[in-house]
Amino acid sequence: MSDIMDLKNDQTLMAISTGDMSWNKTGSWRYMRPLYENKIPPCTVGCPAHEKIPQYFALVKEKKYKEAWETILPDNPMPGVTGRVCYHPCENVCNRGEYDETIAIHNMERFVADQNLDNHIPEYLVSKEKREEKVAIIGSGPAGLSAAYQLVRQGFKVTVFESANEAGGMLRIGIPSYRLPREILDKEIDDIKRLGVEIRAGITIGKDLPLSNLQKNFDAVLIAVGAYKSWGMQIPGEELKGIRSGLDYLKQYNLQEQATTGKNVVVVGGGNTAIDTARSALRMGAEKVTIVYRRSRAEMPAVPEEIEDAKKEGVQFVFLANPIAFHGNGSVQEVELIKMELGEPDKSGRRRPNPVKGSEYRIEADQVLLAIGEVPDLEFTEGQFKLLHDRLNLDNGQMTSQKGIFACGDAANGPIGTVVDAIATGHRAATAIGQYLRNGKVALNGKMESGVPFDTINLDYFVNEPRPKEQQHHPETLKENFEEVNLGITIEDALNEANRCFSCGTCTYCDNCLIFCPDVAIHLDPVKHEYIIDYDYCKGCGVCVHECPRNAMAFEEELKWNK
Amino acid sequence: MEQIMNETMSKYFNPETTASIKVMEGTHAASQAVKLARVKVISAYPITPQTSIVEKLSELCASGEIDAEFIKVESEHSAMASVVGAESAGVRSFTATSSQGLALMHEILHWAAGARLPIVMVNVNRALAPAWNIWVEQTDSLAQRDTGWIQFYCESNQEVLDMVLQAYRLAEQVMLPVMINLDAFFLSHTSEPVALPKQELVDQFLPPYNPKYKMELEGGHAFGGLAMPDSYMELRYKMQKSMEEAERLIPIVAEEYDHIIGRHHGTFLENYRVADADYLLMTSGTISGTSRIVVDSYREKGIKLGMIKVRTFRPFPTKAIREAVKNAKKVGVIDRNISFGQSGIFFSEAKAALYNAEHRPLMNGYVAGLGGRDVTPETISEIVDHLIASEKGQDLIWIGVKK
Ligand SMILES: Cc1cc2nc3c(=O)[nH]c(=O)nc-3n(C[C@H](O)[C@H](O)[C@H](O)COP(=O)(O)OP(=O)(O)OC[C@H]3O[C@@H](n4cnc5c(N)ncnc54)[C@H](O)[C@@H]3O)c2cc1C
Ligand code: SF4
Ligand code: SF4
Ligand code: SF4
Repeated sequence: MSDIMDLKNDQTLMAISTGDMSWNKTGSWRYMRPLYENKIPPCTVGCPAHEKIPQYFALVKEKKYKEAWETILPDNPMPGVTGRVCYHPCENVCNRGEYDETIAIHNMERFVADQNLDNHIPEYLVSKEKREEKVAIIGSGPAGLSAAYQLVRQGFKVTVFESANEAGGMLRIGIPSYRLPREILDKEIDDIKRLGVEIRAGITIGKDLPLSNLQKNFDAVLIAVGAYKSWGMQIPGEELKGIRSGLDYLKQYNLQEQATTGKNVVVVGGGNTAIDTARSALRMGAEKVTIVYRRSRAEMPAVPEEIEDAKKEGVQFVFLANPIAFHGNGSVQEVELIKMELGEPDKSGRRRPNPVKGSEYRIEADQVLLAIGEVPDLEFTEGQFKLLHDRLNLDNGQMTSQKGIFACGDAANGPIGTVVDAIATGHRAATAIGQYLRNGKVALNGKMESGVPFDTINLDYFVNEPRPKEQQHHPETLKENFEEVNLGITIEDALNEANRCFSCGTCTYCDNCLIFCPDVAIHLDPVKHEYIIDYDYCKGCGVCVHECPRNAMAFEEELKWNK
Repeated sequence: MEQIMNETMSKYFNPETTASIKVMEGTHAASQAVKLARVKVISAYPITPQTSIVEKLSELCASGEIDAEFIKVESEHSAMASVVGAESAGVRSFTATSSQGLALMHEILHWAAGARLPIVMVNVNRALAPAWNIWVEQTDSLAQRDTGWIQFYCESNQEVLDMVLQAYRLAEQVMLPVMINLDAFFLSHTSEPVALPKQELVDQFLPPYNPKYKMELEGGHAFGGLAMPDSYMELRYKMQKSMEEAERLIPIVAEEYDHIIGRHHGTFLENYRVADADYLLMTSGTISGTSRIVVDSYREKGIKLGMIKVRTFRPFPTKAIREAVKNAKKVGVIDRNISFGQSGIFFSEAKAALYNAEHRPLMNGYVAGLGGRDVTPETISEIVDHLIASEKGQDLIWIGVKK
C-alpha cells in the first residue's frame, strides 16, 4: 500500500479534512425546508367514512390482519358489510387509477374483515369514561348503528328503536343475501351490541311509542329511519293485482323468506334496487325478468359490476322506454311502454329522456315491480320538522329544526343513498350529539380537503401491475339459490394489492429519504417510529422530498419558519 | 489437460498456476478477471460491445459466484459516480463501458483520478457517433488522455484477463484509476482459449484492498473539499508524481504477476524483431497481430522490418520508445484513431516523445481502419512500402480512404 497519504504531514494525495465536519452546520445554507409530514390520500377523502386506507394496507403487508381491522374500526364498525356492498367511491379517486388500474380497495376491506370473523371489536376502542346522558336512536340501519357505536365509544348510554324484528335496516330488508350473507351482517351487528348498545326491535316510533316519549326520557334523539316509502308511477292501471313496489317485494322475501313471484316479471327503474329486485325475482322462480329503464345503459345509476352480473344471470334490459299504462283483467297482463329519446342534460347531469310521440307498444307481464325511488316515511314526526325535498332538513351540526333532535342517513338531507354515507353521517351525528351533550354547542369539522395529487407520486418506484379479479360463484340454476356471488380476493392478491398501493402521502418507512440525503441529516427515531430531520445539517437540497415515492415529505420556504 | 497442451501452449498456459482453460470472448475474460479480483461493487450501464461483460457479471452476482453489490444505474455517468462512491468507502470496484458511454463519464473520470480512487474500468474501444458505428476505433479512450487515468491496450483475451488483475495491483499502489482497453469485436466478441489462474494465486498476487483513508461513519473526514490556489497545485503535482511512480511499478507488477501466475505480456512496449530493424511499425491493439505476420514476411524478403506494440498510453512510454527506436531509420505509426486537425494520436505522442531524443528517425503517421474497417496484411504492406519509399516524414497519411 502506498504510504504517500499522510494527513499529519499535510501529505495527503487529495483534499481530506483533518477532522470531521460536524462543526460546519450546513443547515444555515438552507432556504427551503423539508418536512416529514404525512398527508391525506385521495382514497381516504373519497371514502365518506374516511377510512385510513394506506394505513391498514401497511398492516396487511405485515400480515397483521387484526391490527388492520382495528385500524378501520374507528371509522367504520362494519367493514365486512361495506367491503361487500359499498359502491366504493374511494376507488373512483384512487391515484393508482391514473397509472394503471385503481386499487381494489373494497376487496381489501372485505378481505381484512373476513380475516377477523372470530374477533370482536376490542374494548380499548371504547372510552373508559362513562357518561350519564342517554341517547335514543330511531332506526337500526347502517346510519343508526354507526351512530350508536360511536356514541357508546364516547361513553353514552344508547337505546336503538327498530320497527322490524331484527336490526340492520336496508342491509337486512333490502340488500339480498347473495350479496350480503346474513352471517356477516349478524356478526357485525352483534359486535356493536357487545359494546353495550341496547337494541329494542319490534317497536315502531309513532305507533308503539310516540316521539314525544323519547324526547322526554332521553337527553338527545337521533332519527335514522331511512327511506321506505316507494314512489308510485301515477299512471293508469297501477292498482292492478301483481303490481307492487320492488322494495316491498324484497322486504317480504328478506324477512319472511317468501314472496309471490310471477313467471314473466317486469322491473321498472335503473338503480340498484331495480337490479336487486330483478336478480332476486330470478332466484324466486321467475322465468323471465325484464328491466325497463327510461334512459340508456350509460345513464343507469346502478353500479356497472352489478348490471354485468344481472346480465350474466339472464336479466333482460329494455332501455329508452317508460311505462305509460298497465293493462289487465284484475291482474296485470301487459305493460304499455312509450319509447324515449335523450335530450338536454338535466340537473343531475344526465340527459333528460323525452317520450317519442306515437311510439307506444306493449309487452307482456304477469308481475310488475316498481323500483323508481324511495323517500322517508316521516308520519311519526307529525309535521313538526322542517323538510327539504321530502327529507329532514339539517343544520351544519346534523341537528333538525328541533333542538336536541338530530338525524342522519337516508332520512335526512345530506349525502344519501349508500351504506357508507349512512355510516359516515351516523358518525358525524354521534360526534355532534357528543358535543351537544357535553357543552350544548355543536361545531363539526368541515369537509375533508382533497388528497395528495397523482402528479406528486414518484412513479420511478412503481411498476405496472394489474388489479386482481374478484372471484365469483354463479350457480348453474339460480332458483332458490341465494348463495353469495362475490367471493372476494385471495391472500396472495391482497398482499400484492397492499404493495401495489402507492400509499399516497403516507410514509411506509421505505428509508428512501434517509438513504438519499447527501448530508446524512435524516434519522429514524426508533421510539416514535418516525423520521427526524436534523435541521442543523439539512441544507434544503430537496432530494429527500423528490425521492419520497409517495409525497410524505413537504417542502416549504425557510422564510416561513424563520419569522 | 496436460495431454492436449503442446509445448508452446503450456508455456503460455502454465498448468501449475491454471485452474482451468476456457474458450471465451474478450468480454467474458474481463468478467472472469473481476471475479478473480474479488471485486465488491460493480456498477455499469450496458452499451454494445461492452454489454456481455456486464451481463456475465450480473449473472455471476445473481448466482452468488461473485459476492458483490451490483448497482443498476440509468447512465454511465451514474455508473462511474457509483464506483467513485464505493471506492471512496474503501471498497474495490469495477465498471466497464465503451464509446459514447465513456464520453458521458468524462466529468467523473476527472473526479475518480483527482480523488485518487484506484478504480479499474474496462473500455471496449468503439467508434463514436454520429454516424452510428459499433466497431473498433480508439478515439474514445484516447480522448480521455488528460483525465489522469492510466491506460493499457490489449491484444488478446488472455491479456485482458491478466491486465485487469494487474491493473488493480498497480492502481491500489499509486492510487490512480486504470482503464484497460480492448478492441471492439476483434477481441470483445472473438473467442479464444483463456487460462483462469487459480484463485489462491490471484489472492497472493492481489491482497485485499485496504486504503489508508476512506469514508467511514466513525471519525469522519470530508473528502474532495475546497483547495485554495495555495494548495491545489501541489495536489496536481502529486498526481503527476504518481503517474511517474506507475511508470516505475508497471514492470515490477508485470514481473510479480509472472512470478506468481507465470505469464508476462511485456511492459510498456512489446518489441518484435526490433534490435536490428531499419524500419519500424508502431501499433497497438489487434492490428499488432496482423503486423507481426507482415514483419515476418518482409524479413523473409531480407528487409529489416520490426514492430513496436505500445501497451501503455498513460503513463506514456517515452523512455521505452526512445530506447526502442535508437537504431531505426524510419518509423511508421499506425493509428486506428484520429485527433481532428492534427493526426493519429499515438503518432503525435510518439513524435513528441522523440523531439528531445538524441536519435530522431524519420516518422510517418498512418491513419487506418477507422470505424472497424479491416486492416489486412495487404493494408499493412502498403504502409510498409510507403514508409520505405519515404524521403521526408509525413504527419498524416490516410490509408484506404475511398476517394
Ligand atoms: C334494494 C336496495 C339495495 C341497496 N344496495 C345498496 C348497496 O349495495 N350499497 C349501498 O351502499 N347502498 C345500497 N342501498 C342503499 C342503502 O341500503 C341505504 O342508503 C342505507 O341502508 C340507508 O341507511 P339508513 O340507516 O339511513 O336507513 P335504513 O337502512 O333504511 O334503516 C332505517 C331503519 O329504520 C327503521 N325504521 C323506519 N322507521 C321507523 C320507525 N318509525 N320506528 C322505528 N324504526 C323505524 C327501519 O325499519 C330500518 O331498519 C340499497 C338500497 C336498497 C333499497
Ligand atoms: S367503505 Fe366504501 S368508500 Fe370507504 S373504503 Fe370501504 S369501499 Fe371504499
Ligand atoms: S394508491 Fe393507495 S393510497 Fe393512493 S389513492 Fe389509491 S388506495 Fe389510496
Ligand atoms: S435530502 Fe437531506 S439535506 Fe436534502 S433536504 Fe432532505 S434532509 Fe435536507
